[in-house]
Order: sequence, then C-alpha cells, then structure tokens
Amino acid sequence: MYDRKVVRRRRAVLAVCVVLSIAILTAYFGESGGGFFHSFQRGAQAAFAPVETGASRALKPPRDFFGWAGDTVDAKKDNKQLKQEVQRLRTQLAEAETGLRDSRELSALTALRRENYFPQSTAPVTARVIARSSTVWYSSLKIDKGSSDGIRLDQPVIAAGGLVGKTTNVTSGTAEVRLITDGQSGVSAQVFPAGVTGVVRPEVGNPDDLLLEHVPSGKRVTENTLVITSGFVSSRTESLFPRGIPIGRVSKVDLDELETYQRVHVKPFADLHSIDVVQVLTRRGVAQEAASIGGSGG
Amino acid sequence: MILSVGAFVRVGALVLLAVILQVSGFSQLTVFEGHADLVVLTVAAVAYYAGSVTGCATGFAAGLLLDLLTGATMGASSLVLTAVGYGVGRFREVRDPSHGLMPLVVGTVATAGWVVAFAAVSLMLDIGARVSPLVIRDMVLTVLLNALLALPIFTGCRKLLRPSLAVDPLELRRRRRPPRETGPIGLRGLEI
Repeated sequence: MYDRKVVRRRRAVLAVCVVLSIAILTAYFGESGGGFFHSFQRGAQAAFAPVETGASRALKPPRDFFGWAGDTVDAKKDNKQLKQEVQRLRTQLAEAETGLRDSRELSALTALRRENYFPQSTAPVTARVIARSSTVWYSSLKIDKGSSDGIRLDQPVIAAGGLVGKTTNVTSGTAEVRLITDGQSGVSAQVFPAGVTGVVRPEVGNPDDLLLEHVPSGKRVTENTLVITSGFVSSRTESLFPRGIPIGRVSKVDLDELETYQRVHVKPFADLHSIDVVQVLTRRGVAQEAASIGGSGG
Repeated sequence: MILSVGAFVRVGALVLLAVILQVSGFSQLTVFEGHADLVVLTVAAVAYYAGSVTGCATGFAAGLLLDLLTGATMGASSLVLTAVGYGVGRFREVRDPSHGLMPLVVGTVATAGWVVAFAAVSLMLDIGARVSPLVIRDMVLTVLLNALLALPIFTGCRKLLRPSLAVDPLELRRRRRPPRETGPIGLRGLEI
C-alpha cells in the first residue's frame, strides 16, 4: 500500500533537515563572534544588502501607503479622544464659570442687603432663573421657587445690584417675575438722599435706561445720585415695594422749562441682560433709619 | 513534484522572493501594529502543492536564508519552518483535501504553528529578558493577517509551481466527475 522507498526518502529528508538545523544552531551558539557561521551570516548580509536596498526602495510606496492608512486610523482615534476631552473640559469650564458667576451674584446680593438704606427683615428667598422672555416687549423671568417656598404674588425681586421686578403668576414650584423694564411696570421711587419722588417707568427696548417720571420741574435732581424705592404708604393705597431697595443711578436729567415735570433717566443697577440668581423678598421688611431720614426731604 | 532543474529554480526563486519581500517590505509594513509573514505562507504553499519532502527542504532553505539575512540565530527558523513544511505536506498527502478554501485554513494553521513554535524556540534559546504580553497580540495579528493573505499567496505559488507539479490539485478537482444520478441503482452516487 505504501511505497517504502518513498517513506524512507521522506523521513531521510526530514531527518537531514532537522539534524542540520540543530547542528547549525548548536554550532552558532558554540562559536565566537568571529566563527564560521557568524562570518557566513555577515557575508550573506553584505551580499544581499544591495538587493535588500533595491527591494526596500521599490516597496517604499506601498509601505508609505499602508503607513498613511495606519496613521489616518490613528489620527481618527486621537481626534475622537481629543474631541471627547474638549467636550469634558468645556463642561467643566462652563460649570466653573457658572459657579463663579453665581458666587459673584450671591456676594453682590449679600452686599446689597448690608447697605444702610436697604430694608431689614425681608426674609429673602434665593432662586435661580430658569427661563426668560425672548421679546423686548415683555420682559419677564421664570424662577425655580414658588408658593411652596413662601413666594406670593407681587413680592419684590432683587438681583445683584438692586431691584429687578416683582413676582406674578406664582405656582407651587415656580414663579414669574415681571422686570422693571417691562412695559407694564411702574415703581414708586425717590432720589436718595434728596428725597425727590416719582415713578420709575421703562423705556421699552432699552433695558439700560429707565425713566423717573412725575418729578416736578422745580425739584433739583443731579446726575449720579442714587434712586431707591420710596415705598409710599397712604390711607388708600400702598406701594408693593418696601422703602430703600436701590433701583439705579441718575444718568441724565432733561430739563425743559415749558414742561411741568422733568424727565430723569436712571441706569438700573441690576444687569437685566444676564441674571442667573435672584432673591424674592417674601416680607415687606422695615425701612432703616438712613432711608427714612433720606425720605423725609420729599 | 517532478524533480528537475526547473523545479529547483522555481522553488528557489519563490523562496528568495518571499524572504526578500519579507525582510525589505512586509516586516516594515505594520497593520494595526502587527505585520504579515510571507515566508511561512510560501513554505506552506509549496508544501501543500509539492508534498512533504519538498516542503521540508523548502522550509529548511527559507529558514536558513531568513536567519542569514536578518542576523537572527542561525538554525532556529530553519528548524521550525522544516517542521511546518513537513506537517503541511503530510497533511496534503494523507488527507488530500479538495475544498477551495483549504489554503486559507492551511495558511492560518501553519502561521499559528510557526509563530508559536518559533516563540518557544526563541524563549528556550536566548531570550533572557521579560516578555511583554504584547507578544501574544503580535502573534495573533500575524495569524489574522496571514489568513487574509493566504488565498492569493497560495494561488500565486500554485501558478508558479504548476509546470513542476506531478499532480495539480486544481486540475484534479476539475476532472472529478459528478456522481451518477441515473443508471443502475447500485451505481448511483458513485463517481464512475
């Protein structure tokens, strides 16, 4: 069935090859660096060097192509990782900046409440702005605190710097704040410490400018003086805002001799463009002595 | 295989080409940080088509040339490639597989055997340092890349060796007649 000659030849070839391999291996290990096999190896390398150089040059384009493909794959992977890292760092930066801004606003709010004219015992509730109106005609905010936090309708709202507006539409978890720049807003105010009173009205479309109206022409109002809420109380009505909340600073006075009233331009303290944290004064509070003294003039 | 000058020249040229390409090109051509091994595929192809004796001798020659050109320990590659060539050749002689995708399997298994056996020999001989686990990844990648290259390499080798082959396995497969489906019941299903 089997050709013994073939089998023997096959085994002989295998044995010769294996024995030769082992012999070469042993001799190679046994000899020094200048031995026959080492010298033979060096000679073979020298002899084949030109061939290898030529082959290497000939194969450079495909090698470069595959290298380029590999680099592209690596670059894509790196790009993806870097994009993820940028996203993560952006998120961290945004969180840090938000925290910093909130901290500044809260510090300013605390500083505001320490002013000697600010009303005391107002029981402020701090809230975060969660939405804001997108048109210039209706200036309002939505905050994340509502009636369950003690907020009621028509309570004054302050932000870093001064008065922002008042609450409207209160739900259990949220409340809407109508800003003092809203067309329907009107705040009784007085120039501090002169005591000249009037009503602060907005100039729709220009949140950086409020108008103190109904100021008699004869009353002297100078620029850069403080405007605060007057918090008037009469037998028939009462202002929603307690006395002493700063609104802004007089920026310009239009004096017209023919007019009965002068137009006083007020620049609001609160940055109404970017409010993130507000405080709702849930109690009317008590006006401090300094504000009362200021108010005695008018 | 018909032993002739032409057969020697063909196998010699094939081995030389494979070793030169491996040393100058494929060893520097990294795909996913691994590289293909053309030499073992060539040895396996020659053994698969020409038989165990030719495979054994081709493995020895290819290994020796590879060791000479790479400056590696002489005899290590030739020892392992001799075994690979012999094993593939014997598989062919004993089993006589005819499936068209058999070169892929043979190439993959031969490469796996080569990388494992060569690693074992190298570790036994002169590797005194710690071996990184990345060696295993490199071995796996080589096996996978060789699996991809097996079919074209085997096809190329078969075309080059065809004039010297005693039996062309492809022709043999083509000549096989389909089993009879008509005629006497006793002869149906037989290749006659």
